[in-house]
Amino acid sequence: MTRSPLKVLGAFLFLVLVYSAPAQAATPEDFVKNMGDKAFASLSEPGLTPEERTKRFRDLLNQAFDLPRIARFTLGRYWRTATEEEQQEFVQLFEKFVIQAYASRFQDMSGKKLNVLNAREISAAQALVLSEIQIPGKPPVKINWRIRSKEDVHKIVDVMVEGISMSVTQRDEFAAVIRQTGGKVGGLIEALRRKTSSD
Amino acid sequence: MEVARLIPGRTARLIASVASIGLLAVGCATPPPANDKAAVAAYNQANDPYEPFNRAMLKFNLALDKAILKPVAYVYRENVADPLQTNVTNFLSNLRAPVIFANDLLQGEFERAGTTLMRFTMNSTFGVLGINDLAGDLGMEEHSEDFGQTLATWDVDDGPYLVLPIFGPSNPRDGVGILADSLMDPFGWVVPFEYRLGRAVGSAVDKRAQNYDHINDLEKNSLDFYAAIRSLYRQRRVEEIRNGVPASDSSIPGGISVVPQKPDGQQSKATSTEK
Repeated sequence: MTRSPLKVLGAFLFLVLVYSAPAQAATPEDFVKNMGDKAFASLSEPGLTPEERTKRFRDLLNQAFDLPRIARFTLGRYWRTATEEEQQEFVQLFEKFVIQAYASRFQDMSGKKLNVLNAREISAAQALVLSEIQIPGKPPVKINWRIRSKEDVHKIVDVMVEGISMSVTQRDEFAAVIRQTGGKVGGLIEALRRKTSSD
Repeated sequence: MEVARLIPGRTARLIASVASIGLLAVGCATPPPANDKAAVAAYNQANDPYEPFNRAMLKFNLALDKAILKPVAYVYRENVADPLQTNVTNFLSNLRAPVIFANDLLQGEFERAGTTLMRFTMNSTFGVLGINDLAGDLGMEEHSEDFGQTLATWDVDDGPYLVLPIFGPSNPRDGVGILADSLMDPFGWVVPFEYRLGRAVGSAVDKRAQNYDHINDLEKNSLDFYAAIRSLYRQRRVEEIRNGVPASDSSIPGGISVVPQKPDGQQSKATSTEK
């Protein structure tokens, strides 16, 4: 076995890359804390126009959440009955729907604070991060984050507010819409189109 | 009707007759054909065989709300000073303490029963008839209990979803709970009916004012308001029954199959733990 200089160089570069890769493997807790700080800082800025808030919310949402996965979950068993085009359109509409429904809920964040309490492992790739939002003069609101981690990249796959899961609520509601529109995913897509194109 | 068998006396007959009129008028939900697996699963998961009746009942409740409760709650919320509203909330929740205490005991939660008793004693005296939550400021936080939750801890099944007139989202188990709680409330034994009515109206306005924005928000942002309420009610009850302790991994709502690769097997597991 001869060692060509190229191979040595290659091995050297490989080692450099490996060791210079993010050394600070953030835990799911850190991830939620950072994400919360960022969200509060960026969305509570005074004088923010609704358009600008929505834009910032969309950016945060795409960074922190695994939206395609959540979308797929909310379709439940109907995911497999949908055509590929329907699946794609649904994922796109889902994002629009979430932004429309949730962006406005972050209007009044003054004085509020997100405290990360602790985390527990759910499975090898998933953790539940427990936190609470402190609101002056009111009891704290418990918020639990389901985090999925892959190669040190963390993404939120569910948010539970006082035990109410956003994904489950959405899944139940979508199932009801599908049932009422004749059991076809197309009916839900149509309803989402209408909902997201109004106001 | 399952309710009729569980609730004795006049109330049962009243509920049963209201319910059967509703059921006669709108009928039961039609189960989907057995070969449509996704639809059957959705139908079973909803556990709502009286859906047409329930939807009609929600409409009725919403009409009442729009005509009376919502406007009153709005005026109250906009015109009564915040600290005074907090006093009203505190006063009304303090009145619930005896029922919460009884249910703490029935569930064998003696530490929580102790907290409830201490809270009631302190807030009723130093807190001036409960209008100040002194105990809460000292770290003895309020918690709620009701007989529906007690039944759940005794492994009584919730039964199908049921929207009750005026009371709203419920099920046979929680409906029985409402009745039992009102019977075990000592304030109900010693004071005249007018007082109880006043308290009920006060509580309704207080609750409605507190949830004003949430309800508006949900109505505006849901595709199916009825289905959203049904899902929220169920999840909220599960959380209350667990006293807010996050469940072990398998029973966290939606936990099993965030990736529906094997939707059928995995999701039915998630569903069964949700109830």
